[in-house]
Amino acid sequence: MAVAVENVQVFILAENRLLREALTRILSKKSDIRVVGASAFSPQVVEQIAAAAPDVLLSDSAAVALSELRLIPEVRAAVPGLKVVMIGMDADRQTFLRAVRDGVVGYVLKDASAMEIAAAVRCVASAEAVCPPQLCLVLFEQMAQQARIPSFHIRAELGLTRREQQLVQMIGRGLTNKEIATQLNLSEQTVKNHVHRMLRKVGATDRFGVVELCRTQGVSA
Amino acid sequence: MHKVRVLVANRPRLMRELVLATIADQPDIEVVGETQDEAEITELVERIRPDVLIIALQEPESRPGICGFLLGRYPQMKILAIAPERNRSIFYWAFVDIRSNQVQTSEDGILNALRRQPDLVELPANPSGRYV
Repeated sequence: MAVAVENVQVFILAENRLLREALTRILSKKSDIRVVGASAFSPQVVEQIAAAAPDVLLSDSAAVALSELRLIPEVRAAVPGLKVVMIGMDADRQTFLRAVRDGVVGYVLKDASAMEIAAAVRCVASAEAVCPPQLCLVLFEQMAQQARIPSFHIRAELGLTRREQQLVQMIGRGLTNKEIATQLNLSEQTVKNHVHRMLRKVGATDRFGVVELCRTQGVSA
Repeated sequence: MHKVRVLVANRPRLMRELVLATIADQPDIEVVGETQDEAEITELVERIRPDVLIIALQEPESRPGICGFLLGRYPQMKILAIAPERNRSIFYWAFVDIRSNQVQTSEDGILNALRRQPDLVELPANPSGRYV
């Protein structure tokens, strides 16, 4: 059962300065919420968040995009137990699913009110998830789709080798080519070659496109 | 004291609420109307005659179509178009033709613009629109 947390410490990460400033002021007025930091994205932001040790990270999707989509996994690794609420610019299916896979447990849209943002912060701090109704449907559809499609069939259809499937999983965890090379005892160039071959096979334009496609098709689960 | 009368009509809802929260404590600025319906803006401007209208800047590279119409009809009014996804907003006013100035999308930037001092707002050199 969810238990209300008395004093939720929040870090606000947003590219839009008004969003940072005004949300900080609004949330600071709540007796059970304390804003322990606010920042735009920067290469040092993960360290900054870790130093503030918040319970909840409230982030806009623009900041995550600027981090080349690696921010959420990195910050969750740096701050154990951190709950992440993302403010999405729109109800985009792929952005939402990506956020959920990265470990975001609260998702609100910019059509939400400031009160709803505060409520979302409280909910995730109390070990609940927050999801707009229209995106809840996306989750149900995604689960149903994954259950329907046998992965061995898709593997054959995409033509991925065992090694390539292994790479998909590692890319999906946010590892760089260099990190993958170290873990697999390969050269970085060999990993690059594998990635390029995968891109050609599945017709994706970038490495995350391969991961998305495989996940959509149920390969790398 | 003359208060700056503001009609707040920007979207999305969260950004509108943040603007309202920014203005709320200012003794010299008064919110005289609020709407989330773009179709209502002209009617509200006609009825309320605000000093400043705040709208959403959906495409930062082009002037919102409503600006030309409203500033032609109500040349004493000024329009602040706030970009929800960028750190630059734009302040429009009528002076023979329509003039505009960039405004930082921050609490200070907005308050300065509402007090008709957009020239005091420092602008970033970075053309990407990112303002940290």
